[in-house]
Amino acid sequence: MTPPPSPALLRRLGLDPTWSSEVTFTGSDGRPVTWHYLDTGRQPETTATLVCVHGNPTWSYLWRGLLEQLPPTWRVIAVDQTGMGFSERNRPRRYADRVDELVTFCRTVADGPLALAAHDWGGAIAMGAAPHLPVTHLILSNTAIAKPDGVAVPPLIAVARRFAGLICQYTWGFVEGTALMTERRHRAALRAPYRGAARRSAVAEFVADIPVRPSDPSFAALAAAADALEGLVVPTLLVFGGRDPVFHDRFLADLHTRLPHASVERIADCGHLAPLDASFPGTVAAWLTETPAIERPVVSEDRPPGGSVYDTIEHHVDDAAVILGIGDHQYSWSTLATKRAIAASVLQEHGIGVGDKVAVLVQPGLDLLVAVAALWAVGAVPVVADLTGGLRQLRRLHRAAVSTAVIGSGSALAMSAVLGLVPGAKRFATDGRFGIDLQIGETLPASRFARLGPDGLAAIVHTSGATGPAKAVRYTHGALAAQRDILQRAFPIGEGAAFTTSFAPFLLLAPALERTCLLADIAFDQPGQLTSDHLVAMEQHSPIDLAWLSPAGARGVTTNGTSTPTSLRRVLLAGAPIPESLRQAVALRTSAVVDAPYGMTECLPITTGAPAPPGPHGGYPTGVPLEGCSVVIAQLDNPLADAAEGAVGEILVAAPWMFDGYDQRWTVNIATTVHRSGRRFHRTGDVGYLHNDNLYHLGRLQHVLWTSTGPLSSVAVEQPIEQRTGMTVAAVGIGPRAVQVIALVVGGTGKLRLAPPNVADSVRAGGSHPIAAVLTGELPLDRRHRSKIDRTALARDANRLLSGR
Amino acid sequence: MKVFLTGATSLLGRTVALQLLERGDQVTTFQRQPSGLDTTEILGDLRDPSAIASAARGHDSVIHLAALVTPRPSWEDAVAVNVDGTMAVRDAARGAERFVFISSPSVAFHGAPTTGGASGIARYAGRDHYTATKAMAERLVLERLEVPTVVIRPHLVWGPGDTQLVGRLVDRANSGRLRLIDHGLALIDTTYIDDAAAAIVAGLDAATPNSPAVGRAWTVTGNDPRPVGELISGIVRAMGVDRTLRSIPAPIARILGTVLERVWRGDEPPLTSFAAQQMSMAHWFDQRAVHSALEWQPTVSVTEGLRRLAASRER
Repeated sequence: MTPPPSPALLRRLGLDPTWSSEVTFTGSDGRPVTWHYLDTGRQPETTATLVCVHGNPTWSYLWRGLLEQLPPTWRVIAVDQTGMGFSERNRPRRYADRVDELVTFCRTVADGPLALAAHDWGGAIAMGAAPHLPVTHLILSNTAIAKPDGVAVPPLIAVARRFAGLICQYTWGFVEGTALMTERRHRAALRAPYRGAARRSAVAEFVADIPVRPSDPSFAALAAAADALEGLVVPTLLVFGGRDPVFHDRFLADLHTRLPHASVERIADCGHLAPLDASFPGTVAAWLTETPAIERPVVSEDRPPGGSVYDTIEHHVDDAAVILGIGDHQYSWSTLATKRAIAASVLQEHGIGVGDKVAVLVQPGLDLLVAVAALWAVGAVPVVADLTGGLRQLRRLHRAAVSTAVIGSGSALAMSAVLGLVPGAKRFATDGRFGIDLQIGETLPASRFARLGPDGLAAIVHTSGATGPAKAVRYTHGALAAQRDILQRAFPIGEGAAFTTSFAPFLLLAPALERTCLLADIAFDQPGQLTSDHLVAMEQHSPIDLAWLSPAGARGVTTNGTSTPTSLRRVLLAGAPIPESLRQAVALRTSAVVDAPYGMTECLPITTGAPAPPGPHGGYPTGVPLEGCSVVIAQLDNPLADAAEGAVGEILVAAPWMFDGYDQRWTVNIATTVHRSGRRFHRTGDVGYLHNDNLYHLGRLQHVLWTSTGPLSSVAVEQPIEQRTGMTVAAVGIGPRAVQVIALVVGGTGKLRLAPPNVADSVRAGGSHPIAAVLTGELPLDRRHRSKIDRTALARDANRLLSGR
Repeated sequence: MKVFLTGATSLLGRTVALQLLERGDQVTTFQRQPSGLDTTEILGDLRDPSAIASAARGHDSVIHLAALVTPRPSWEDAVAVNVDGTMAVRDAARGAERFVFISSPSVAFHGAPTTGGASGIARYAGRDHYTATKAMAERLVLERLEVPTVVIRPHLVWGPGDTQLVGRLVDRANSGRLRLIDHGLALIDTTYIDDAAAAIVAGLDAATPNSPAVGRAWTVTGNDPRPVGELISGIVRAMGVDRTLRSIPAPIARILGTVLERVWRGDEPPLTSFAAQQMSMAHWFDQRAVHSALEWQPTVSVTEGLRRLAASRER
């Protein structure tokens, strides 16, 4: 017999001793077996039960967060499996035995409807047990039911399996290795039940039972459980730590494919033991209270009228007209069509199909067009990241995207292989190096293209990360079609004319709009190198009706170059709040209409961008909301309530061309979505107001200064000072929320320090708000646009300096 | 109102008396030397309880502002004046309807930056004889309320005629001994003399049985924090001293202060560890509760205060 843990031990480990319980039931071998479990018990408010199943080599302690933090409406039970934790040490169990025993335990202790939460190999057992139990909710964390194709047995498991006895039982290696994956305060608790080799025998048996080959004893049972999963349509939450060397993102992707209705929360910086992550209980509690509907499958059934915005290519198969020009390189529609047909057939031949997420590591150019077009032709989902964010960010983003394959140039593929960007992914090469050559193959006839409905997932685009952590933004084919339509209506490009852009990835619009895209032959991550001479050179090929320019690109055009383009009719400035001076400089240089529409990766465009007179609360005018797009201003501290008419608040938007949600970020989706009269609105995190139908932009919500006289947008403080002094300044809040005072940082060089008295005086004279401190120093800029001031970092530094030591 | 006011020879006591007179109150002042004010004046010592009791008789309001502020007082003197003296005034105030006690924010200074902190922290600290005895007195006053009592802690009071802060800064600047610490970056809130006096008068008006102000200590400030370097150079410039102030790092200043406190033979060491901390750490407060409890708001910004300081010198 295994003695139950003493109350003193439980208290020392941080567990409530009253939770500790034991039950004896008939085990899988027909003999009695005694399980130890933690049970918060039934309170008067209790209406539901959650049973939590640990993996190997952990125990019920793993669920401490849920035991402590779920509301009393939930009775939370966390089991110790046979031979594990403080349950009875008994003869070896195989996978099917463990499934049986979990089912019997649930029927004995928690009869009736129940929710299941499970981790690691507990997940496989819970998934096996679920079809035999009245399960209401399923919560799975860093687990698997099958090995995804192309993924090797995780090396850690392979080694542990090979030397199961040595690593898992006769030494503390496996238990210790697992304990070390978590915060220090959990380690003693994770080790507690596994002191001494005799107490660890099940740890080793568990590892030895992991089926790898069809001849392994538990292979068939696990495969059957995987097959049975298809019929299991219950609300499901997948919470995965993103840094798990064992059950990594490919396993998450595999489970999501099997349970397409699941909500997904990926905790990027958490490792294997996600249930011990600080955010885990809150996420689960929120999800359980949301009473989640079965989320719509990401891939909808085929519907004939669907398809992608690139179906236009079929109309231009023999068209020699130029679709893309970069410098003097011109690419025709027919080239694009041919390359697409070949690449699509290669992709299809290698098993890439509907719903597969494929990382696209291709620099802007024809190859990018071909890659996206070919992926859409087979119904796959391009995952596009910004290549300028640095390797670390790229690695994070692509691991998060759980792509089944990568398309890239040789160097990108070599890099992705070295960095292990996408574990076990197939590699396709645009230039035939280091991967399956996308240029050599049959041609896939258009009649065999996949045609997804408007709800079908079309693309995952990463936000720049310039104003916060980069997020993966999901777009459906329907939204992309709506975006194409609004762009054609709001910002038309004449027949036979071209457009240009300093946001190189915007070239992807060309086939959708059926208009030529001309790009300057400059480094795509250096938009500031664009000059007016480049625009004039482009005009040799075709008149340019429209230019989408980033602030850096616009500054390049206005300050560099000697000639003036003649055909440019409209310039759209986007990417950051646009100062009036820049707008006027561009107008002067190009004699075009200059509009600055408001928009973001999640929804573009939102407003017309037409100039408007200064508004009563200052800020940047962005024009009138576009037809079909709703803009609502919510209170700054309560997104559920409308701000008073004309008042400053958070900008909420809804549009048919809006994104579908953030990928694998259930909690972020909940936090950034607001429903108004049945319509889904996105919280932009931007501050602004409506005045005479125009939307004025006042910067980011996280830059609001929460002063004792009320919230103030940073822009409202900065703008008058900038206009009166001509200096570049940034306002940050000093002190705790609701009593902040304002520090103003004047752009300069070197470390942050007090500004000289004359500068401080002119800043105070120019502003309309009390300024506590005037500092000067180099303003930190985001690495992508080099135009957005990183006010969060600045506020941190200024607070540190001004609080003294 | 018939107000009994102790400590009218100080700038703050004098300004309070003038504000009371201006609005028509009858004021009796009690201190050791003549104040020169147009009030009924009783000269006496805080160490003489019977003198206080008889002087205070017949007044409906008592403001106790007097304290021993001489540098480095002996423990016995500090207790006799700041603790026993305060108890004597409090006892004398039993016959009145309201009592206002003037304390100091330093009674709750724990050697850490205060940024937007609550204004009435009651966790006391006593680092030297002055702050320790002021803390004792404040606690005793608030422990047992016999008449509606309000405690006001004016934070760093300055203005024309101030010898405590302005005078010392100018003396040191003139002798070239004035240094900033860490370039004077710490954000510090101060109180212009007229605002500090007005807060005390508002405290007197708020000392009524059901007021939220009663029974608590309120740190009052000008609610206009500035980097301490800006304040110091602003004050000495307004006083006509034009010198570039050099800076020393905070840890060195603290060590220096600690050493000087031990070895200094004269009255007042040029730097103490307390002063070093005060000059290198932020202290500014959340004033919203104060403003609503006292129904008072400061009216003189730092900029305006400096202008008045300069004007008073030129006159």
